[in-house]
Amino acid sequence: MLSAWWDGDADGVVNMAADEALGAVAERGGEPLIRFYGWSEPTVSLGAFQRLADARAIPDIAAASLVRRPSGGGAIVHGSDLTYALAVPKTHPLGQTAQLLYTAAHETLASVLQGHGIAARLFADPPHDADFLCFSRRAGGDLVVAAAGRQPTAADPKVMGSAQRRLAGAVVQHGSLLLRANAGVGPAARHAGLEDLHADLRSLDLRQLATAWLDRLARRLGGDFHWEDGRFTTACSAEAAARTQAYADPRWLSRR
Amino acid sequence: MAAEMKFAKTHEWIRPEADGLATVGISAYAVEALTDLVFMQLPAVGKRVKAGESFGEIESVKAVSDLYAPVSGEIVAVNTALPGQLDLLGKDPYGSGWVMQIRPDDPAEMSALLDQTAYDASVKNTPH
Repeated sequence: MLSAWWDGDADGVVNMAADEALGAVAERGGEPLIRFYGWSEPTVSLGAFQRLADARAIPDIAAASLVRRPSGGGAIVHGSDLTYALAVPKTHPLGQTAQLLYTAAHETLASVLQGHGIAARLFADPPHDADFLCFSRRAGGDLVVAAAGRQPTAADPKVMGSAQRRLAGAVVQHGSLLLRANAGVGPAARHAGLEDLHADLRSLDLRQLATAWLDRLARRLGGDFHWEDGRFTTACSAEAAARTQAYADPRWLSRR
Repeated sequence: MAAEMKFAKTHEWIRPEADGLATVGISAYAVEALTDLVFMQLPAVGKRVKAGESFGEIESVKAVSDLYAPVSGEIVAVNTALPGQLDLLGKDPYGSGWVMQIRPDDPAEMSALLDQTAYDASVKNTPH
């Protein structure tokens, strides 16, 4: 059974601590968990080993707060996205390798978008992953969509990227579904989101979208799902709070 | 491959050396499963670790994974060539792709690890 929380907004430190806590709870309980959340302020999350100096050198993201994720990959500008964190015990068949869970999450969301008439697919062309920003990169399995009325091409915009932290007993995969270009950062850090590419999606209820996704994702994970009442950050506040200090420590942000 | 090599369930291997030290690396299976390695964080020489504790991290295009110490002890050397030549992990995981050398606190801890046959059986049905 996949348990799901709709967590609302929090700052970067709270969100990263909660994501890691999600992994600990999934490992202990032996069941997959997922939470959806937003950001209380414009935030750029850096990959685990991206250089802080490189982030500081980009004027277009200077106004945003910075937080470092436990996962890898490129920097994500948050604030106009729907972010998720999915935790799966490593004993689960989809927890055993990185690509399996990545593909499962992205394929099932692509399927939901295809149901809305959108040409959504997983990127399968040669990767280019040297850019600092996640949504400027393309790797196998990234979710890309063609703009309304356009035929799919290798240059289709990426609307969801994910990354994992593989803990001792669980995998935490978090990612962002980019909804619209972020007006809180400069043009070099803005990327077209789902609503920019498909204007008819502006009226889409995000929780309904998440529910449709969970229905497919839970089946891929081998079971059902249910929405939990309240927030994960409240239900498992001790787990999350125990990790908050580590993510708030300036040494974590400046580790590289 | 040396017969006395042991494996942790978390896919690190350890091989006792003649000088009382032990060499630690990552199994060929794990390296293949990680795919597309992009960065590695090695531990500091002199650091003490406990069995099962993270001593380093490795990043692939999709994931960051911890490396876990198979036994407790003091890290006495690290393979400084690795971060610049991550392909060594795949080309020669039990040789030039070694990660660190440790001075075990208690060599008997190795008896709790898997031998080659048991490790191979544990990963046999695990998909890549």
